[in-house]
Amino acid sequence: MKAIVIFFALVAVVSCSDECYRDVVATCSNTLSKQQGVLTQCDAKYGAIENLEGDLQRFANSLLYRSFDFLLMATHYGNYIKNRAGFEKLFRGLSDDLWDDGINTIKYMTKRGARMNFNNIASELEQEKPSLELFELQAIGRALDIEKKLAKDAFDLHKAASGHKNDHHDPEVAHHLEEKFMEKHRDAIRTLAGHAKDLSSLLDGPDASLGLYLFDDYLQK
Amino acid sequence: MKAFVVIFTLSFACVFANLQCEHKKPNIPTDWIDMGNPCVVKVRNHVMEELKASMQYMAMAAHFSRDDVNRPGFAELFFKAAREERDHAIKLIHYLLMRGELTSDVSNMITKNLAPNVTNWASGATALRDALVLESSVTKKIRGLIIVCESDPSFNDYHLVDYLTGDFLTEQYEGQRDLAGKLSNLEKLMDKHGALGEFLFDKKLA
Ligand SMILES: [Fe+2]
Repeated sequence: MKAIVIFFALVAVVSCSDECYRDVVATCSNTLSKQQGVLTQCDAKYGAIENLEGDLQRFANSLLYRSFDFLLMATHYGNYIKNRAGFEKLFRGLSDDLWDDGINTIKYMTKRGARMNFNNIASELEQEKPSLELFELQAIGRALDIEKKLAKDAFDLHKAASGHKNDHHDPEVAHHLEEKFMEKHRDAIRTLAGHAKDLSSLLDGPDASLGLYLFDDYLQK
Repeated sequence: MKAFVVIFTLSFACVFANLQCEHKKPNIPTDWIDMGNPCVVKVRNHVMEELKASMQYMAMAAHFSRDDVNRPGFAELFFKAAREERDHAIKLIHYLLMRGELTSDVSNMITKNLAPNVTNWASGATALRDALVLESSVTKKIRGLIIVCESDPSFNDYHLVDYLTGDFLTEQYEGQRDLAGKLSNLEKLMDKHGALGEFLFDKKLA
């Protein structure tokens, strides 16, 4: 009896920030529990990761599925009729980048004690059936829209993580998005916008097909 | 409303008035495009099979990355496998492009239902076991592909069959042997030293 009192006194002293330690004390004193995973309080979760988990899952899935969209756009430019190796390379590069971003987002979530859920897919992604076989300028436009939507998703996550949504404040998530995603993404958007500008002026006139040929040649470099 | 539509159409026309965004389809002979349709359909479908395998490996990698699983060696092994499966899909796409295929209906080739069926594993060994089963099923599908592409009565596709046999099947058999060997080592390690065995094996993988 005395031992139990002392034990509870100890527990009271370690207080609320010592949940893992308390868990360890409880587990080690109980010789009956030999199964794994009994230390339920010793996880990697802190901050607001649990509240951001769902949005991060949707973000990771969007990155992976958009990488497949870009892969198909690259495929279209690789066929013998389009035969634009430069555009193929451009879209394949965008596909590879989003694929890496998707993997990195999954890795990041697990660093923070969150889990990936491959079924948590943004509804607009499931519903849309857009053609990915587009003419050059249209394809650049579509790519820019896709990249900007992903940027918006990241900004929305960042806004929530910055404390603008109740119980979502998690500066570490915000920082991760800034450092590992947003800077690279900014450059991708700028590059595509520049291509849209150049291409629209090249297509404005009688030399449109020559302009396209040279622009594709430039993209191959 | 009508006025709005007219204005909208007009402004659209103004912006693109001089832009020649669309070009005519060139007239290229098609005699050189000789793949049989059943074979093409099979290869296109197999692109999805490779991507499904890729996402299945991704789920394994995500599982072993979890803080309450903590097997970084297994996680890296499966992330690498996920990348390789995606590369296989891309290789098949490149092959079809080389043969003059994929000039239409490309947009629907990859559907957005790639969520893996299994996302939890009791141990590293069960995941390796599942990976080996997955690879054997892919191998069977490649063999099915070969059968369709060589037994088309109007066109035996020697070249694709050679590519699938030499390139894809070689990688399948080597990969399967590697997985079987890893699983064998792990099971022997864990026979008497379960927790320690998996811990050590994981560190070796990383
Ligand atoms: Fe494969």
